[in-house]
Amino acid sequence: MKRLVFISCLVLVCAAVVMAETGVKKRRPLPHEYGKVVMDNYSGQTRMAPVVFDHWLHRARFTCRLCHVDIGFAMKVNGTGVRASDNEKGYYCGSCHNGKYKYDNKPVFSACSLLPVYDESKHTCERCHSQGKAVKKGYDFSSFTSGLPRERFGNGIDWETAEKEKLIIPIDYIEGISIKRKALEVRKDFSITPNVKGMPEIVFSHEKHTVWNGCEVCHPEIFMVKKGQVKYTMVEVFEGQYCGVCHGKAAFPMIDCQRCHTQPVK
Amino acid sequence: MRRTLLLPVVCALVLTAFSAATAAPPSQEAWRAEFDDLCSKTDDATSLSKEELKALIERCDRLKPEIEKLDESPRKLYSKRLQMCRDLFAYVLETKEQEEK
Repeated sequence: MKRLVFISCLVLVCAAVVMAETGVKKRRPLPHEYGKVVMDNYSGQTRMAPVVFDHWLHRARFTCRLCHVDIGFAMKVNGTGVRASDNEKGYYCGSCHNGKYKYDNKPVFSACSLLPVYDESKHTCERCHSQGKAVKKGYDFSSFTSGLPRERFGNGIDWETAEKEKLIIPIDYIEGISIKRKALEVRKDFSITPNVKGMPEIVFSHEKHTVWNGCEVCHPEIFMVKKGQVKYTMVEVFEGQYCGVCHGKAAFPMIDCQRCHTQPVK
Repeated sequence: MRRTLLLPVVCALVLTAFSAATAAPPSQEAWRAEFDDLCSKTDDATSLSKEELKALIERCDRLKPEIEKLDESPRKLYSKRLQMCRDLFAYVLETKEQEEK
């Protein structure tokens, strides 16, 4: 009897400890979920489901700069305040999703278009307003990425190699929206010494980053710091600042340490 | 005599009114051309001199009120884009000034 009471008490104590724990382990997103952004600025007001944006599909076709500079999407979720009327007038999503812009010789479907009249049977709105709905997407992640080089984390795709091997050719210019710029002068790579001794040095490649980003995606909004003047920590990076604005959200995650910490320990 | 004069005058007025109605507002094209010219320089901002960067920042500041007159959607978009360009020029300028010290 005493033994039963003891075991019951033990179970209760353990349960209390588990319940009292404040931290919740974050589930690692599946490859097709990685980089998914849920936009909910005004959808709720119109009783629409929030918009689900898949980075993997868009990043395979367009550079980061095209969307985050030329089209004007903020780097923070819900930071842009896109309205259906903006899309309808040909801004933001409507820059490409307008029924006229063609990709692979196929017109890209219109976003938030009132013309032609909304046809519920075609589930037009649900192509984007799909949060919490079982919507069949136009592209399947597995088949779309089947020929791309593999990587351990994130989407499970080595996007950098895919771009180098011309398996993907992200578009960097849209007529009427983008600005014709001179070819970007590639800045030199530089190394960053980690705060923790024994950690391999980080080599920051301007070349790798400017291929997709240009200058103004990172400077000065994300990296206000001048080289060597401000020290930031991995805690801040994991909290989504500095490198963490992209890495861990759309670019490869920071658990892939060796992608950045590449130099031998001094 | 009056009739012969009246006809060309009326034609000229009609033509002027037609061309004014069909052409895009000149101010709209002017702001876009200025915007494109300014923001096309972001990629080579580091190779510009301090004076050139200061001139670009001043031009951004002069263009801002023009963009603020636009409708909601283009105003939202181009205000942000212009701000990004201006911020980059200011950032590069500040970096250059600090490097000189």
